[in-house]
Amino acid sequence: MNRDPIITIENVYKSFGHVEAVVDVSLDVYPGEVVVIIGPSGGGKSTLLRCINKLETVDAGRIVVDGHSITETKNINRVRAEIGMVFQLFNLFPHLTALENITLAQKVVRKRGEKQAKEIAHEQLVKVGIGDKWDAYPSQLSGGQQQRVAIARALAMEPKIMLFDEPTSALDPEMIKGVLDVMLDLAQEGMTMVVVSHEMGFVRAAADRVALLDHGSLVEVTTPEDLFENPEEERTKEFLSQILH
Amino acid sequence: MSAEAREATRGRILPFTVPWESVPWWAIILAIVGIFVGWSVLTSEAYLDALAFIIDGVSLTLQVTIISYLIALVAGLIFGLMRVSDNPIFYAASTLYVEVMRGVPLLVVILYMGFVVTPRVREATGGQIDLQGVPAAIMGIALSYGAYMAEVYRGGIESIEHGQMEAARSLGMNYMQAMRYVILPQAVRRILPPLGNNLISMLKDSSLISVIALNDLLQTGRLYVSRTYRAFEGYNTVALLYLTMTLILSFAVRIVERKAAIE
Repeated sequence: MNRDPIITIENVYKSFGHVEAVVDVSLDVYPGEVVVIIGPSGGGKSTLLRCINKLETVDAGRIVVDGHSITETKNINRVRAEIGMVFQLFNLFPHLTALENITLAQKVVRKRGEKQAKEIAHEQLVKVGIGDKWDAYPSQLSGGQQQRVAIARALAMEPKIMLFDEPTSALDPEMIKGVLDVMLDLAQEGMTMVVVSHEMGFVRAAADRVALLDHGSLVEVTTPEDLFENPEEERTKEFLSQILH
Repeated sequence: MSAEAREATRGRILPFTVPWESVPWWAIILAIVGIFVGWSVLTSEAYLDALAFIIDGVSLTLQVTIISYLIALVAGLIFGLMRVSDNPIFYAASTLYVEVMRGVPLLVVILYMGFVVTPRVREATGGQIDLQGVPAAIMGIALSYGAYMAEVYRGGIESIEHGQMEAARSLGMNYMQAMRYVILPQAVRRILPPLGNNLISMLKDSSLISVIALNDLLQTGRLYVSRTYRAFEGYNTVALLYLTMTLILSFAVRIVERKAAIE
């Protein structure tokens, strides 16, 4: 990978009161790459991810996404439209159907017409495997289906980057595979993805690199092979021994 | 009925039973009393006389209530949005408005509008703008209720999970777009009950405008009593007319709430 990174994170620092959530983290993500962030809870994984689309503002450091400085830009909304985000608790709009969830931002932000937005929404729903659920309200869908609608909603904006914040941790075990399959397909299509997750199956199958974050600091950035076969840092070994039973 | 009980009775003819606990007793009592009172009114010369005179006041009461309510709905929305705004000027201005208007009795606001604001405005504009009468009354009620409504909107907006705003913003919507398409549609559904109750309260509180000599329902009733000395029939008629209107409204509010709950 000799191209320029699509996400550059430079010496980012973020604290909540006295709690240091992210401490001097630097990380580059290249186009088409899948980077999975792992680490103990409270380690700053989600905070770092949320800094990338400015759901959290950084205290110090710089983040550049696709040539736009997130930390300095005047028009964050235009940059956010290029960054899809999937949340742990789905955050679907409960007053809208699955289809309307997907068409809303297309119409409001991308200024697409009703017809085009609907076509794209239907396409995306088929792609995530729930094409028949377009007129269901979120409350009528299972957790796994809701998360797939949420992914479709983000993809309909045709983002250059997808961020996943623990997309499967609120799901029942039997629902996880469906969501991970959608994510695997996406990775294979060459989507740039930054994923906070503890799904080691996904790490093995899709991750190009894995970053371990602990107490806000980047402990190690490595390939999945090295992570499982010969982790360098003591902290990494310790963490892996806790999650791989 | 539990699932087992349903299973046990399947295929059998059930004896006709009345679910006594779910009967709206209050509505039945009200209906019986209503029929009785309606009958006595319509067959009594004295009540028919009072009704014929006093019913003229209904139109002003309704007019003031409806217009004030519409203004208060909009004012409440604007000040409610300012109350949840990050902008310190918006926040301070709306908080000041809410605290002042909620701290002054509506009667005082109406008197103030009628006897302080109206003459001052007339003077300042050289008679161009005259709020005398109904406009002053409407402004007083709308401004006062706007403050309560602002707090209702604020509560509704703050009750929506933070993730909704984040999801909307992550899709590239700006703050106002997220409010308009994601937060407010959900918030308004949640605050329909208090919004409806405010309409009913407002209808009753509109009787306070009689203090600035407007011929609303109450004032017309007082006029009738002072002319005929029939306080009993006069005020009974006034009370009945208010009650009829508030009951109709309260049924309408229930229907709207139920519809919103189903959606």
